[in-house]
Amino acid sequence: MDYELARIDYTLCGITYPDALRILPSTEHKIQQKFVIGDKNGVLQCLSVIDEEPVVHFKTLPGKPITSVQLASSVGNNTDKIFAASGNEVKGYTKKGKVFLSIETSVSETITSMCVLGSDLILCSGRTVTFYRELQEQYCYVCDDRVLDAIAFAIPNKSRVRILVLIANKEALIIENGKLQNRTHIFAGPTRFTTPQSLHATEICAFYGAVDGSVGIIFCEESEIHSKCLVEGCGLGSVTCVGWYTNNSGTHLAVGRHDGSIQLYLTNPENLKEKPRLKFTYFSGEPVTSVCGGCISTNEPELLVATFSGRIFGLRSSRPTSSINSISGDALATRRSKLEAEVTRLEKQTANEREKYQKTTRSIYGGISAPPLLDIQHELSGATYDGWQEAKITSAVPLDMLFVYCENKLEIQTDNAAVLSTCAPQASNNTELLTTIRCQAGTRRLWLRMRNLSFEDTKMEGTRVLVYILPAGVPRVARLIKFHLPILPHYTKYEPLEIEETKRSWCEVRVSGAFSVAEMTSWLTELLPGELPRPAINVNFARSHSFLETYLICKYQRGSAFFKSDNISTVLILKNFISNCCIKRNIREDILYDVPEDSCVTSFQLIKNKFVSEYRKKKDYDIKKALSSLDLDANTLNEATAPVLCEDYLRIWKISDDNTTETNYDQLVETIEKWYENWFKLSLSGMYCSNEFINLQNALKNCQLDEVEKILDFKHKSLHNNVNN
Amino acid sequence: MQAPNLQPVFKLELNHKVTPGVVTIAKYDGTHACLTASAGYDKIIIHHPHGGMISGRAQRSLAHGEVSELNLSQAVIALATGQIKPDCNRDMLLIGSPTQILAYDVHDNSDLFFKEAPDCVNVIIVGYFGKYKDILVIVGGNSSVLALNWEGTELFWNVVSGKVCSMIIFDFDKDGENELLIGCEDSYIRVLKNNQFIMEIAETGPVICLSQISDVRFAYGLGNGTIGIYEEGIRLWRVKSKQNVVSLQWSGENLACCWANGRVDWRDGTGRVQRRVQMRSNAAAMLLADYRTVGVPDLVCISDRGEVLGYPPLQENIGLNKSSKKMASEEDRLAVTELLNKKQALLVELQHYEANVASVNQDQERSLITMPTNTRLQVAVAPDSEEGSLQLAISTNNETIVRVVLILAEGVFESGETLARHPHVGQLKSLLFVPLQPPRDVPVDVHIKALVGYPESEQFHIFELTKQLPRFSMYLMLNPSLVKTKIDSYVTFRITERVQRICIWINQNFLLDEEIELESEDTKELHVSFICLRDKSRLDMDFGVDGQVKFTTHDISLAGELVQSLAIYLNLSDLQVCYIFFYILC
Repeated sequence: MDYELARIDYTLCGITYPDALRILPSTEHKIQQKFVIGDKNGVLQCLSVIDEEPVVHFKTLPGKPITSVQLASSVGNNTDKIFAASGNEVKGYTKKGKVFLSIETSVSETITSMCVLGSDLILCSGRTVTFYRELQEQYCYVCDDRVLDAIAFAIPNKSRVRILVLIANKEALIIENGKLQNRTHIFAGPTRFTTPQSLHATEICAFYGAVDGSVGIIFCEESEIHSKCLVEGCGLGSVTCVGWYTNNSGTHLAVGRHDGSIQLYLTNPENLKEKPRLKFTYFSGEPVTSVCGGCISTNEPELLVATFSGRIFGLRSSRPTSSINSISGDALATRRSKLEAEVTRLEKQTANEREKYQKTTRSIYGGISAPPLLDIQHELSGATYDGWQEAKITSAVPLDMLFVYCENKLEIQTDNAAVLSTCAPQASNNTELLTTIRCQAGTRRLWLRMRNLSFEDTKMEGTRVLVYILPAGVPRVARLIKFHLPILPHYTKYEPLEIEETKRSWCEVRVSGAFSVAEMTSWLTELLPGELPRPAINVNFARSHSFLETYLICKYQRGSAFFKSDNISTVLILKNFISNCCIKRNIREDILYDVPEDSCVTSFQLIKNKFVSEYRKKKDYDIKKALSSLDLDANTLNEATAPVLCEDYLRIWKISDDNTTETNYDQLVETIEKWYENWFKLSLSGMYCSNEFINLQNALKNCQLDEVEKILDFKHKSLHNNVNN
Repeated sequence: MQAPNLQPVFKLELNHKVTPGVVTIAKYDGTHACLTASAGYDKIIIHHPHGGMISGRAQRSLAHGEVSELNLSQAVIALATGQIKPDCNRDMLLIGSPTQILAYDVHDNSDLFFKEAPDCVNVIIVGYFGKYKDILVIVGGNSSVLALNWEGTELFWNVVSGKVCSMIIFDFDKDGENELLIGCEDSYIRVLKNNQFIMEIAETGPVICLSQISDVRFAYGLGNGTIGIYEEGIRLWRVKSKQNVVSLQWSGENLACCWANGRVDWRDGTGRVQRRVQMRSNAAAMLLADYRTVGVPDLVCISDRGEVLGYPPLQENIGLNKSSKKMASEEDRLAVTELLNKKQALLVELQHYEANVASVNQDQERSLITMPTNTRLQVAVAPDSEEGSLQLAISTNNETIVRVVLILAEGVFESGETLARHPHVGQLKSLLFVPLQPPRDVPVDVHIKALVGYPESEQFHIFELTKQLPRFSMYLMLNPSLVKTKIDSYVTFRITERVQRICIWINQNFLLDEEIELESEDTKELHVSFICLRDKSRLDMDFGVDGQVKFTTHDISLAGELVQSLAIYLNLSDLQVCYIFFYILC
């Protein structure tokens, strides 16, 4: 049976970040629980609800934005201690609101997530996980990518803890004593996780929510990390927060998403790996930042939700409850009239201020109008396998329109609910993109997908996209946000440097010249998506291609740089780009490069399976197209007695329409053709032969793998040539 | 606000594909409703859940026991039903093929008539029209409407300037006689009365859907996703969607809209969505019919895969069984949510003003978010005869620049609904020109959003204003002293009206540098000349002393538009016009 939960709004606060809302445990003499919420204004407040009316227990003064709130985990007797992180500071509060602890940590970036276990404090900031014990820094572990979330687990009979960490390159790690113990790759890309309450603090197990909207579980078996996807994404937005909700039917995993959806999944405490059952879905219309279960306004459990813009509301069973603690209609009416009075007062005040503001615009004395920047969060992902880069825009106020400008021709997509309209370039010979996006009323979040249409080897800078965001309300100001699409957008995945040891056919580029590490870093930001390591004396990192899975290794220091990749096209783009940058900065550079003769063929062998499967997919799709135009009747087809189609065709016919529409076959063909062409651009031996290129095209078209390999195998050919000579 | 879901009261599968738009519900035996639809090229399916196996030409379907199939030899373009046979309460089925109409009595398995339709069949409707006593069958073709009686005899026909996309019968002028509303592909809703067009309503896209709502209101839907409601020729509201509308029906106190992607939503009197549901595949049709025989028509939604869902009219208070106290508190809770919405918006606005005061006190000059408070935006429209367009000049009154201009107007731009201008960094100025070329002679509301700031700003101020372009804004007034080129084509007619009023009409409907004024009170005639910015053709308008009016132009539709516009302005219901047009055949 599905639940019927109704929304009850409690209060407003400033903009909230994920997991900044926590429910305090119930005390002995009171079932109803208090909750704490920290917001962007730096205000931490502790509230309870009486007759659906919020009552403030304590409230701090504004300060630096609060980015994470935690309660002390269940070790010892300090379960009601509240920890709030803002900037690089962590403060501890008692439930009365007294500060009992305040530390300024040494982390250089804002703390985005933290975990408290006994006297241990684990902070996530930027790419580091920092471990504090008794307020002393013990170690700091630097990950390959941004750290998203961390949970600490005690080791039985030992004082050490193990930390399970989620990082942005879709990996989960276990760190113990400052050393990496274990790692695994989770395809869905987990964003946040939470431990089941039923377990001991020692057993490593956590439920995660992922970027693709799916929900899964991470667990440890025989000191190996495993993960299992439990619920598919179903087209919902990325998960921003997870929590627990327990009522008399059991314990539910609560999931809050960027698209405003909130869901409850009933888990099986006996077997956590069992697929949880969906019990409830609610659309709040704005990004959700926290979900927690507890008894807030009555003795019945409800789900407490905080949104990005600062709404705090409960989702409570709408069945007539036990009459003892149900609110009287009068109290509610009083609450309503009180709010009405407040809104009227605010309206008057706002009207006054508006009048004042407008007066200044009418005065002849030149004043200055400077409304503060609109609160907008934005994030750009690296390219997915099909080349789309997604920008997520979240606003605290409802949006009216977006205007997107780019000098290059881009493909662009957006939310279904928004109306996208692209007008012709301003001058006829231009390639620019001018697109307006009109949002539905009340839109506070939007995604934009962008894809470059033309990739040339000689492109000398990334693509700049300007997005002007026009809110629906007053004051009428539009914020400009700039996105930067890199030249090699596919190299999104962070890899450990050890991949250098893998057996691949590496193409190498060595650059020497009078450039600094900072210069090289700034050049590479034009090329690669995501954040690069901060300039240091020596910078080394590795990435992999999100579609082809080819590697790129970058190592540089002052005056010299070394790049390595098994993708010849990447190397060519890199070489051209760096040499151009040097010319621009008037730096004399020496570029040496080495391309092994078997580079193309080895790389082709790596993607051979992918190529074959995409080729089959495309063929299936072609047949499917033909079959569906036959207008066959579903019922006659399903009759087993007199088969109309052969089994193969029946299988193809049954493939659902959505899966088959996109194949990456064309993209692969183009990649391989480019490899062939680029080989001749880089290597000195051999002459580009258009005849052979046509052979290659044909071989690719017909999926003649041996033929393709023969053409791409330049080593063999040169040997052959030598023999001939 | 959340729009809760709604459960269907009945649900069935036809196990046949359904061609979108070619669906009807009729009582072939006079009592039981049967859903009838086109299922592919030339196949018609009839669903008869109340028994009564249909014999004759119809064959029992293999895919569904309660469905009969009827095969024609021609494609089925339109279906309609009605009690057209006199003294018979059974519905007859009208089947429109590309070139013919067949009237078929399903119950008796006999043909009523068979009629060739040389102008193609797009829409068929059945109903009482004008003074005719019998129910008529009205057929909309590619450029005409044709009315037939039950025997297939042609009663009248008329030319329509464009493909007929939709039709309804509606008492438009409330005289007790029905008029015919025709939605055309050329973006007009036309009203036909007594075989004369009495009204033309200009819309912004092909009118693909019309539906009567009440005695005075009707709903419309356009090919560009707009839907709206008219009352007595005045639009009450409209909203635009990315989807195309399939059908509009008035159910309960709500307008139900069925969209091509299978979404159905219920909207209140102002167009706000109250409820919505999503069908599992694309929508084929939505009809109002009492399919459950309960006495009240349900909304019957049919998807293109043959899924049929029935929804009862929405009721305001769904939970009538709940106690009134409970209801009151639920309402209070909703009100609290709504009030907090308001409070949040107000707080954000207040914060902005406070921060504004704070930053002003810090005396930042030309930072990334500022703008002088006395900045004004000025907008002017000027014809540009060289470019053949209108130029919208948008400028500020100080050193701030116009960073972006967004122009929103419907039916003006080739691609989409907006035109944007974003000058290059090197060309940022406080003045920006935007070319506009309205393709049709209709009044256009142009909404302008300009983002004003400094070149390096991170946040810009939005200036918004609306400019109305008059109907004939694409005609530039010429100096009368210029020599007239000889044009042989003209229209003449006679009116009895003072020239002063003609002047007002010209001033209202043309875009002029300065309004034309008569030299003296006694002036009795007026001669003005214009040039069309689109094709540089010339238009002369001569209003003579004797009331003789002559419009000289080679563009016959322009002449028509001018006469219409003037006649409406002068409130003339009847005007004898003489058209003389010469065409040079190439």
